Amino acid sequence: MRKSNVIAMLVALIPIVFIAIFVGIPILMAIAFSLGYTGGPNTTVALLDQNLQVTQSGPIFSVYSHLISDLSFQKDFWSTIWVTALSVVLVLLIGWGLALYMRFTRGWLVNIVSSLYIVPLFIPVVIASYALVTFWNTNGFMSALIENVLHLHFAGIGYTSFGVVVGQVWTNIPFAVLMLASGLQAVPDPLIEAARDTGASQLTILRRIIVPLNTLPTMIVGTFTGIGVLGSFTVPDLMGPTAPTMLGVSMSRYYQSFNEPQLSTAVAVIVFLLAAGLGALYVWANIRSNRKAGATQ
Amino acid sequence: MAKLVLEGIVKHLGGRPVVNDLHLDVKSGEMICLLGASGCGKTTTLRMIGGFLAPDAGRMLLDDVSILHLPPEKRPTAMVFQQYALWPHMDVFHNVAFGLQVRRVAKQEIRRRVQEVLKLVRLEQFARSYPAQMSGGQQQRVALARALVLEPKLLLLDEPLSNLDSKLRIQVREEIQEIQRRVGITAIFVTHDQEEALSISDRVAVLSEGKLEQYATPDVLYRDPATLYVASFIGTMNLLRGSVQGQGVAIEGTVVPCAQFPAPIDGTLDIAVRPEDVRIVDDGGVPAHVIQRIPRGHYQELVLSAQPGNIRAFVSNDIRVGEQVQFLFQRALLYRDEKLVRAGVAVS
Amino acid sequence: MSTLRVSNDEQALTPRRAYSSRPLSTTQVVRWIISCVIILALVLFILGPLVILFLWAFADAWFYPALLPHTWTFSWWQQILLNGDIGHSILLSFIFAPVVTLVSAAICLPAAYAFARFKFPGQRAFMVSLFATNAFPKMGLYIVMAGLLYTFGLMDTFWGVVLVQLLNTVVVMTWIPSAAFAAVPRELEDAARDAGAGLWTTFWRVTLPLARSGIMVALILSFLASLDEAQGTFLVGSPDYITMPTQMYTLVTSYPQQAAAVFSIVLSIPSFVLLLLVRKYILGGTLAAGFRLR
Repeated sequence: MRKSNVIAMLVALIPIVFIAIFVGIPILMAIAFSLGYTGGPNTTVALLDQNLQVTQSGPIFSVYSHLISDLSFQKDFWSTIWVTALSVVLVLLIGWGLALYMRFTRGWLVNIVSSLYIVPLFIPVVIASYALVTFWNTNGFMSALIENVLHLHFAGIGYTSFGVVVGQVWTNIPFAVLMLASGLQAVPDPLIEAARDTGASQLTILRRIIVPLNTLPTMIVGTFTGIGVLGSFTVPDLMGPTAPTMLGVSMSRYYQSFNEPQLSTAVAVIVFLLAAGLGALYVWANIRSNRKAGATQ
Repeated sequence: MAKLVLEGIVKHLGGRPVVNDLHLDVKSGEMICLLGASGCGKTTTLRMIGGFLAPDAGRMLLDDVSILHLPPEKRPTAMVFQQYALWPHMDVFHNVAFGLQVRRVAKQEIRRRVQEVLKLVRLEQFARSYPAQMSGGQQQRVALARALVLEPKLLLLDEPLSNLDSKLRIQVREEIQEIQRRVGITAIFVTHDQEEALSISDRVAVLSEGKLEQYATPDVLYRDPATLYVASFIGTMNLLRGSVQGQGVAIEGTVVPCAQFPAPIDGTLDIAVRPEDVRIVDDGGVPAHVIQRIPRGHYQELVLSAQPGNIRAFVSNDIRVGEQVQFLFQRALLYRDEKLVRAGVAVS
Repeated sequence: MSTLRVSNDEQALTPRRAYSSRPLSTTQVVRWIISCVIILALVLFILGPLVILFLWAFADAWFYPALLPHTWTFSWWQQILLNGDIGHSILLSFIFAPVVTLVSAAICLPAAYAFARFKFPGQRAFMVSLFATNAFPKMGLYIVMAGLLYTFGLMDTFWGVVLVQLLNTVVVMTWIPSAAFAAVPRELEDAARDAGAGLWTTFWRVTLPLARSGIMVALILSFLASLDEAQGTFLVGSPDYITMPTQMYTLVTSYPQQAAAVFSIVLSIPSFVLLLLVRKYILGGTLAAGFRLR
């Protein structure tokens, strides 16, 4: 390798090394800790544990078996799964809707929409969660509005899992719309005009031209949103019910309320595995897309 | 096969009139060209015919029926786009079949018609290839096939050759002409390349700043350009200013012998002379000396320096730079206020 | 004879809705209705909660099912703004954010450039590994990291907090600028080198200005990520380094609605100002470009 390439590689390594030390190692420590390795760098954390499982030789799985058999963990697990799935689906639907609207509409109305959808990006999550839960709560504004306008009683979704979904959707809209709108922009007008010229309706054009050409941005939004929601803490903590809760909150509880950091890290590892699955999906989608563009050259 | 009539078409874009009171007729089975420099309104006109743009005023009749209210999806026109606009995620077969699928044609029928049209454009073996795997010329033909498979009444081509290199351009344009003649379809294509326009069109409409300068066959356009713009746009032309004097034209104080004119004309005129109409003679002409010689294969282009100015001439004999020669005009075109008033008839 | 490349002026001027239609056809009316519905829904869904919180900051008495407060007051503003702790946390947040952003830029921008311009083995693996570490839930990470930080003596220190906030910014600060650098045509840099500029000058005077919008987006997102960070800062920074989000947690749990509302506004103002200033950067395609792997 040429000298400049070596230097480039070393420079590129700086953030990698940084992450490796401060994230990579803790991750490995966490995994080890959850498998019973309580010595070495895990000593401090181990001291806090009420119910420590220590390994004599080789990894032990008692921490995980305890966790998996725990009923409240199971509830939290499935709650996390469905909240994540629903959030991702809603974010994709709303994201696509807004992106399509902005791509195919003209006029000053579009400017209003584009200013609105990025607002959540600039509001700190803590404040957003608080504002949302107040708004959607039992005696919140939405409730009052429905009462006054429709004369129906709306019990509110604050402090419910569905409320968490609303919160997750709210915070993830900007990224989704930005990515999807950019993908739509990248579809050249002549491709759409040619389809119109051959007689296709708007729906057909959407289904057969636009959507197929935007699988990558959709995958990116889906996987990133999924990963974010899976491990989230603030939104479910401030907006969700006491039980079942999302895994991000429950891992904090195991640590802070129950003094069982080992269980806590085990939960974290499980979430990590789920998120890594999504991450692998993201990488695969990118590789496939690059191959399609490259090999056909 | 259909005939198209445009009457009084007007279009304003960005505040200015891009197409200004355009009248055009295209006969059934004819291939005509909209020719002009960029900004002249040719692409805008084509897009209006295709339905992608609505005129501000005027009528548009296909086979005597107005088509203005029809969107592109419903118009019996098919467009070949400048950058081909092939869908990259579909292979050639599906690109061509798309329109038929939208019309819910039976699968067998689709297969038959797609294969037929691919044979017409000589791309049968590429049915399963993807656009990115094909050359520009091949993509061009796929776009053509896609348009033709729907059996439209009118074929529209937007600068179909501008993305191809020069050798390929000639080959592909002749293929387009051949296919158009074989199918017998009425076609309109847009270009800024006048050589291309003259070589394959039945008639050419020269546009400038939204107005129709002249609409005629290539021969007429070349021989008798109706306006000064057309005279200077088509081919090479010597453009001079002078007046008629006796048996010639007086330019900058010198009289260049020329054709006889049926009746004398007064006043200062713009005089246009084709380089091939500048004849080198042994005597009786205006003295000049050769300042530049450009070899052009089977003829040469000379630049002569003379009293009336610098004159370009096409000659077939070997004349060298620096030589003293004499020249006169075989045929001259006279323009007043940009319009042709006299076309000289060759005399000797 | 010219062989001018035809400009696409005409095509650029053409609007989208193209074919002839009668004034106010059903499609147009439907479009208008859809537009209004979308905007109303967006305003309610996105702005609604924020507006209501804003109103709470000025509310004295507000009970269900009233749509507006019954009485108004400024008293909560006095309380919050005069509270020393709160002022302190605001200040801290605005010290940490720029520091974190700058350190992040220093670490990551050169790497971003290296990823964009050079080929070396394991390139994509590196990029992905940065992202992969994001997949581990932050909460779990902080718990284990606490142990590590104790060992290094970084708990309850300024640089400990910087470190924790830094972690959130690395991916954004590497990926997005990397895409921005890659988008600068190589020829422009070659031309500068050809004219005699060295590597550093070329970078500073040609590449960086052209990649400006991507870098701006990355800087903004990092700044916001730092301002936003609550969990890690709480874990590492207490009791001496309390930033706004951490403070917010206390307020939400122990003070009434109005106090939390006032504080929320104060906490949001800088973000909002940033929003207005940098809207055009975010709305460009630079963000999207950064998240595709090459």
